[in-house]
Amino acid sequence: MLNKFLFLFFVSFSALTDSYYEFKNIEDEKRFFTLIKEIRCPKCTSGSLASSNAPVSEDLKKVIAEMIEDSKSDEDIKSYISDRFGKETLYDTPIEPNTYVLWYSPFVFLLICLAFFFFRKKT
Amino acid sequence: MKLLLKTSILIIPFIIFSFFYLYLSKDNSYPGADYKNFSLPSFELKNLYDDSLISNSALKGTYLVNIWASWCITCRVEHGFLSQLDDNNIRIVGLNYKDNKDDAINWLAKYGNPYEVVLHDYKGSLALDMGVTGAPETFLVHDQMVVAHYRGEINKMIWNDVFMPLIKQEGFADAK
Amino acid sequence: MIAEISHYLSILSTAIFMLTFSLVLVLDRSASHATLLIKRSYSHAFILFLISFLLYVYLALTDNFSVSYIAQHSNSLLPNFYKVTSIWSAHEGSMFLWIVFLSLWGFAFNLHNDSNLNVKNLSIGIISIIIVGFQLFLLVTSNPFEIVLPFAPENGADINPVLQDPALAIHPPTLYLGYVGFVIPFAYSLAFLINGKKSLDWEKKVKSWSVMAWVFLTIGISLGSWWAYYELGWGGYWFWDPVENVALMPWLAATAFIHSLSVASKSNVLRIWNLLLSIIVFSLSLFGAFIVRSGIIDSIHSFANDPQRGMYLLAFIAIILFVSLGLFISRFSMFDSSKNIKSLSKESFISLNNIFFGVLIFSTMMGITYPLIYELLYNQKISVGAPFYNAIYAPITILATIMLVASIDSKWGRPIDMKGSFSMLYISLAISLIGLIAIGYFVGNMPFIIMLSIFMGLVIIFRYLMLIISNIVHKKYTNTPSALAHAGLGLLILSISANSILSSEKVFNMKPNEIREFQNITIQFSELELLNKSNHDSIRATFSLNTEGKQFYLSPEKRKYFARGQITSETAIKIMPLKDIYLTIGEQLDNGQWVINVQLNYFIRFIWLSAAMMALSGLIIIKNIIRRRA
Repeated sequence: MLNKFLFLFFVSFSALTDSYYEFKNIEDEKRFFTLIKEIRCPKCTSGSLASSNAPVSEDLKKVIAEMIEDSKSDEDIKSYISDRFGKETLYDTPIEPNTYVLWYSPFVFLLICLAFFFFRKKT
Repeated sequence: MKLLLKTSILIIPFIIFSFFYLYLSKDNSYPGADYKNFSLPSFELKNLYDDSLISNSALKGTYLVNIWASWCITCRVEHGFLSQLDDNNIRIVGLNYKDNKDDAINWLAKYGNPYEVVLHDYKGSLALDMGVTGAPETFLVHDQMVVAHYRGEINKMIWNDVFMPLIKQEGFADAK
Repeated sequence: MIAEISHYLSILSTAIFMLTFSLVLVLDRSASHATLLIKRSYSHAFILFLISFLLYVYLALTDNFSVSYIAQHSNSLLPNFYKVTSIWSAHEGSMFLWIVFLSLWGFAFNLHNDSNLNVKNLSIGIISIIIVGFQLFLLVTSNPFEIVLPFAPENGADINPVLQDPALAIHPPTLYLGYVGFVIPFAYSLAFLINGKKSLDWEKKVKSWSVMAWVFLTIGISLGSWWAYYELGWGGYWFWDPVENVALMPWLAATAFIHSLSVASKSNVLRIWNLLLSIIVFSLSLFGAFIVRSGIIDSIHSFANDPQRGMYLLAFIAIILFVSLGLFISRFSMFDSSKNIKSLSKESFISLNNIFFGVLIFSTMMGITYPLIYELLYNQKISVGAPFYNAIYAPITILATIMLVASIDSKWGRPIDMKGSFSMLYISLAISLIGLIAIGYFVGNMPFIIMLSIFMGLVIIFRYLMLIISNIVHKKYTNTPSALAHAGLGLLILSISANSILSSEKVFNMKPNEIREFQNITIQFSELELLNKSNHDSIRATFSLNTEGKQFYLSPEKRKYFARGQITSETAIKIMPLKDIYLTIGEQLDNGQWVINVQLNYFIRFIWLSAAMMALSGLIIIKNIIRRRA
């Protein structure tokens, strides 16, 4: 009776998979925990799946666990989610021509500043 | 060298400010609207009322897919407008999202049923495949392609500004 | 009635700050009678504003829901403490507090006597006009005094339950005190530029104020991190969320600034850095306010979207920035830069340090704004997160720490002299290597960058330890705040790296009375209760844990709050010497099992300890300055 009440109370619906987050080995488990920190919750204004209790976040966590079980790669999993919920779900910004400015400008900036510093007039 | 430094000290903030000004002035009236096209995912779900199986092939032409649930309060607000739409403009397919079957049926009995057919997506699997994050959300589908996706409840203004332009533009004649 | 009085006092205060500014423009600033008038005018304006704010607090405490903002964010059932803190839980009220603190810093600085009347009065005038700008912003676009007409609601809407937390309640005030404190060096440095006499040691005058503001900023950021850790349930302490980053940038600039200030009038080139940095620090504080309040960025912190507010703030900040930069450019040539920085001198290390901090600030700014740039260019959204920031911060920090260790032996005005320090250096390197190997043995494979970070963290700690011991033995002076703060930095780097490599987590599905084991900890699900509290219902799961010969209970909860139907997860944490055991409950499965998440978070307490060390060192610096003056 208590269980049924609790069940309804939290509006928790059946999983898309029967075994929650119980992985074959430690590597898979580590991949899971890394992925849920690097994928953005599609419903929250900000935050990863790991920090979100939203229903869609729980669903995505289950899907990720399921896909890891199915031996899908990290790339496959990220594509699956970003195809459906947008590229903005990836906190791990891809390094591609459109984002070269982002990834490389800090080092360019550092080099320019160091150039000014080392080639200054010295006494 | 000094002149270069002086100008860059002024130019860099100027660029940053202009950028923010441009961004702030951008028209962002419908942040819930997304026009990315994708194929309607293949599915096989039960009809809410008679448990018969429905798949992609059964749904042809142009129609809305409306994500709703009996536990969703905002859906009640949206419902009135959907009934109007149903009467006049367009076919609406309901996707009952993560809902108890009896609750859903009772809800429709109480508030009216604007849907041509209601799919019972108990696990939310089709919804997840379509990029749904909650209820209510509405998709415009034409010939198995999703052409518009709106997150949040729709009303007359949103219908006119987000969906109608597409319908007219693409000449979706069979939208009723 | 009270609401109207409070509102009126704010308006009056704005007028009198405007008057203060006008007096500064018009009167003879070197005259003592003018100084007195200006001083009094500012004080009166501030006191009026303070009374306005205190009346507002009274309104909140007495549940005056005719005030729209109070109705939206408070509730009669809240404890008094949270009724007050609800004032700064959203935009209008927190902006009110921000300006109170801004004027408070000015008030303290105003009371403080300064022999250079002209510059002092100028700085008060600058502070006054900045306050006026913000007050107008508040009263015109973000009015906290709006009344609900004609009938006040019976009760307030209630604060977000997640905000009903002591740490989170004091996090904004502490942070704001930090942000706005930098108006003092900003205004004073501008006054210095306008005044034009380069002999004035403005850096010395603002040093203690700047350090105090830095201390508040350090504590404010740490409070936010600490709260996020125990409240948000994923075991992390820093997310690189845009609003976290926007607080980090002024902190980085401020740290560079106070290092640069220590050089004071020893080097002309660094004097130019000091001026530029004082402008940058305050501008970054204002930029932070803009980002959070314009709704331009999606973040848990961001207040409601309102482009009109965004535009006003943008314009206001642009004016402040361009006026100050313009002044800077036209006047910095008053410093004859023939005296340049000598190679390998302490000044050169500080300059290099400024460059490293500059790169970090640039990168953070890039990370925050890139999603916006991308959206404007490609009409698509992307996110920038931890992978980017870690990739930039890790190598730069390591470079900076290497320079730090080298700089310990650097001297003012002449090249570095390592004589007598080689043994200390070698010993610290050796001990650190041993420490690294020990950790490596325990952990196994580590990414190279983490090994390097752990190593450098250890080197810094041991090098400073050696320094302190050596100074005690040879009866030499130790710069205590420097040693403490830098050792704190070493500890911070060590803790962050160790935390990332040693921590682990696991998910179990458990029914009551079941037992699981994880990393030598036995966990038994002993009890499940349903609790009814005044504003929420909760499910509390109690676990009995056994490890290292100790037995204890942890009770994570899942709560549902009535007011907004929000569901939150309350973590249960056991603090042990080197690690935290961190437990949360998730969903319930069909078969009655519950999803339980167990985490072991290593060295996390040391992260906040290191922040405390840095803050403490700031306080010591201020104490020393005050002592020296007496």
